[in-house]
Amino acid sequence: MKMKRQLASSLAVVFSTLAVWSCNQSDPAPKGDYVSGVFVSNLGNFLQNNGGVSYFARENNTATADVFAAANGTALKGGVQDYTASEQQGIILVDNSVAGQDKVQFVERYTFKDEGTIGAPDIENPREVVIVGRKAYVSCWGTNPDYKYSTGYIAVIDLTTKKVTKKIDIAKGPENLVYNAGKLFVGTTTYTDGNILTVINTNTDAVTQSIPMEGVVTPIGVDANGKVWVNAGIKALRVNPESLVTEATLAIGTDATKVPESFTMSNDMKTIYFVLTAYDANFNPFGKTYKFNITDSQIDLNKPFISRYFTGLTIDPTQGLLYAAVTPSSTQAGYAVRYRGDGNVVDSIKVGISPNGFFFQ
Amino acid sequence: MLWASFALALPVYAQKDSIALDPVTVKGFVPQKFMSGLKIQRIDSASLAQVRYQNIGDILSAYTPIAFKNYGPGQLSTASFRGTSANHTAVLWNGLNINAPTLGQTDFSTIPVAGFDQLSVQYGSSASIVGSDAVGGSILLDSRASVTPFHVSDGRQQESFRNHQSRTDIRYAFPLNNAWAFSGKTALYYGRMNNDYPKPTRNTYALLPTETFQKGIVQDLFLRSQNGQEISAHVWLTDNKLTLTPDDIQGREMTRTTAYRTMVRYQVHTFTLRTAWVRDIIDYAKGDLSHPDHSVTDKFASRIEKDFTLSLGSEVNPVSVKTGGEWTHYRSRVPGYALSPASENRTDFFLLTRWQPATRATISVNLRQGLVTGFNPPFTPSVGLEYGLIQKALYTLTLKGSYGRSYRVPTLNERYWKDLGNPDIRPETGWNKEIGLEQTFKRAFGGTLRSSATFYHNRIKDWTYWNPSRNYRVENLQQVLARGMELQLSYQRQTGSWRTGLDAGYAFNKSSQEKAYDSYSRDIVGKQLVFVPEHTANANAFVQFKYTKLTGQLQAASKRYTTFDNSQFLDGYGLVNLLAETTFAFYKFKLVLQGQVRNVTDTFYLNVRNNAMPGRSFAVSLTFSYDSQ
Repeated sequence: MKMKRQLASSLAVVFSTLAVWSCNQSDPAPKGDYVSGVFVSNLGNFLQNNGGVSYFARENNTATADVFAAANGTALKGGVQDYTASEQQGIILVDNSVAGQDKVQFVERYTFKDEGTIGAPDIENPREVVIVGRKAYVSCWGTNPDYKYSTGYIAVIDLTTKKVTKKIDIAKGPENLVYNAGKLFVGTTTYTDGNILTVINTNTDAVTQSIPMEGVVTPIGVDANGKVWVNAGIKALRVNPESLVTEATLAIGTDATKVPESFTMSNDMKTIYFVLTAYDANFNPFGKTYKFNITDSQIDLNKPFISRYFTGLTIDPTQGLLYAAVTPSSTQAGYAVRYRGDGNVVDSIKVGISPNGFFFQ
Repeated sequence: MLWASFALALPVYAQKDSIALDPVTVKGFVPQKFMSGLKIQRIDSASLAQVRYQNIGDILSAYTPIAFKNYGPGQLSTASFRGTSANHTAVLWNGLNINAPTLGQTDFSTIPVAGFDQLSVQYGSSASIVGSDAVGGSILLDSRASVTPFHVSDGRQQESFRNHQSRTDIRYAFPLNNAWAFSGKTALYYGRMNNDYPKPTRNTYALLPTETFQKGIVQDLFLRSQNGQEISAHVWLTDNKLTLTPDDIQGREMTRTTAYRTMVRYQVHTFTLRTAWVRDIIDYAKGDLSHPDHSVTDKFASRIEKDFTLSLGSEVNPVSVKTGGEWTHYRSRVPGYALSPASENRTDFFLLTRWQPATRATISVNLRQGLVTGFNPPFTPSVGLEYGLIQKALYTLTLKGSYGRSYRVPTLNERYWKDLGNPDIRPETGWNKEIGLEQTFKRAFGGTLRSSATFYHNRIKDWTYWNPSRNYRVENLQQVLARGMELQLSYQRQTGSWRTGLDAGYAFNKSSQEKAYDSYSRDIVGKQLVFVPEHTANANAFVQFKYTKLTGQLQAASKRYTTFDNSQFLDGYGLVNLLAETTFAFYKFKLVLQGQVRNVTDTFYLNVRNNAMPGRSFAVSLTFSYDSQ
């Protein structure tokens, strides 16, 4: 394991050195309070800027609601849009209700110690992050003052210098990111009428293709056969990663007012899970959770996998359990509910406010 | 008695005369004499003068247990009175409810002390007298007719962070002829908070860059005749402009709150007629500030009332009675409303009584019925009692109690907001019970000592709630029980050229949601309401020698939960302020020099936005005045 990172805290240097020394040149086991477990991104309540990252070990059913606060004695001061980690470094996307206060927060992956931030104007309204080698790609809506989603971009961060090296403009509010073999697939927020799948070459960090589709585009992931799955409007599409030609189209029902969300793939990359969201007269979301196989010829909406609505969905690569995020409201703690492959509940764990995603290590 | 050992408080100011008052002599805009059994605290004029350049929130924090939900310096600040929400405090200007009809609340950052002459705080529900919103308590702001022929004062306060406030007051009074006398006041105020903090953060928490400009004019005119007629006119125009992150051209947010408040009042003997027009304007814009969302709400309110006495025979005191009605019409143009303009009529009838069957006892029975377009609030009775347990020359002990219904008419936003509002929402209704003891020692430690203990229990049903689990659609979801106690102590002493004084208070407020309404509300039932500290304490102590006065203030609040399940909270904190002032007097001129150190201990605490509040800061003011007398 590489130990040549610059560490922000001299204390951390001491601990790391001790760790290397004590392991006597063998591959050191990571040290910290948060080595192996589940991290939950919590959006918090927007105006209160009280989101955070929750953590629990897989064998436990209680969580530390705010790991960053526990490790650093100070809160993140915003909602957490996404969390991921490189070999040593955790990256938290923090969204504050006031302009100019958003940031990318770096932490030591296993201790969650503060390792610096990148703020405005480099990062404004960050949405999702994907790590490719020593670079992180962060989709940002930009300042978006008029809510027209015309100021969006992908921020390319050099993880060694922790600097934004490039901004790649993307219209209509860039959102979901999927990386595969030198290509970054970029979708846009469902709040717009954007219908372009943007492909970025991660060697040159330039847009190579902009492919129009039938509806708002959300890249889902890469399946067992190496095919890229993309959601466009109320369709799931199987796309050839080389030619970018759509090879198969599965309809997700016929009601275009519904929004498929929270796509996640099983560990064998043969099953895709998602939540189909509808909104009542008060814009209140509700819906059910479905799954389909990559070889299916259609998606049967008569047989929901779980008859519940979730605000986030991810499968644990280690144990294969489905983690589903429940948000009772933005003013009380949410829950992570664990399901087995057959759709039966294992347990539920109280986490932070408005949980929306999981990261496993 | 146990209570006496720690029963503090209460500057008691409700009238306790043993003689039935002649109704004609009763001046004042809110009929406080019918509030028997309720606790009323008047903030004295010297205390008001001390914070003459500040906002009302500063003085209420120093003298009362009201907790404020504050978004930052110069930003939105709403009150939680006795464990209730921002909608449950009635703010009355010369008897007229000036809570914004759209929001049903007052932003206390927009009410400067310069706007009124007299401030009283009435604790607990008084809906039978005040009407809607008076659930947790009422704030009474009154204009007072000038008594001096000519008085002018002018001054400015310079504060840390390049903030400053200034104000000019002119008072005048003169007889017009043998029958009529004229008096009036003109006041102007202007303030600018640049909030240029030396460092952008405290303890890694941002001090949010904001600017607030405030300006206004107050005009009061009184015409009084010797035959018992009085005509008065009152105008208060105020304008408050708040900008968040003003240097961020694309991300800045501007909220401008403007109010035109006007009133004409005519009183002849026992008959009073009042008519008022209030226009509330809110402009909001983000980024480009030139085309803000523009909301205008007009309120036309008229009130008629008549006082008389009801004789119960020659053996007993007569009953004082006030009866009357109010008619209010609202018209609101708000971009987010389902219809524009939205309009609504409200009518209220009331009958207030006060009776002293014996010198020791006073009883008030008050009745009110409100009528509102589309639905009617409940019939609202109340009964209050005061009884002098001990009435000696140097010591009095009084028992007070009150039991009454309260209600809150839904705000215009709650009824008319597109999709999320609910035209069929029901008014909230509650029952408030309270009991208290007050004692006065006329010669304790060489001065006068007053203390009180009050216990209250206030259950509010159909509590409306912008339900966050239904995308903030408003619903009559909750049932809240607020209960607690207040201890207050005041002490004043004068010996020669020395004066000393102390006002101290402690309050315990337990306010919780009682009713489950969905499967996850089990995490909320029984939990303390958000931003309502369980414990608050305040103290204000001064020492004065001749024209020089030193004052120390303490405000403390326990932790404030920020989520309904109490999973997150802001830490409790205590703030200390020091004020020193001295007056130079020559001929009819006075010059008051005052210095303040705010947050002396540099305490770190957070506001609702999870931003830091400023640390230690300073203010210096100079006030020049001339009085013809």
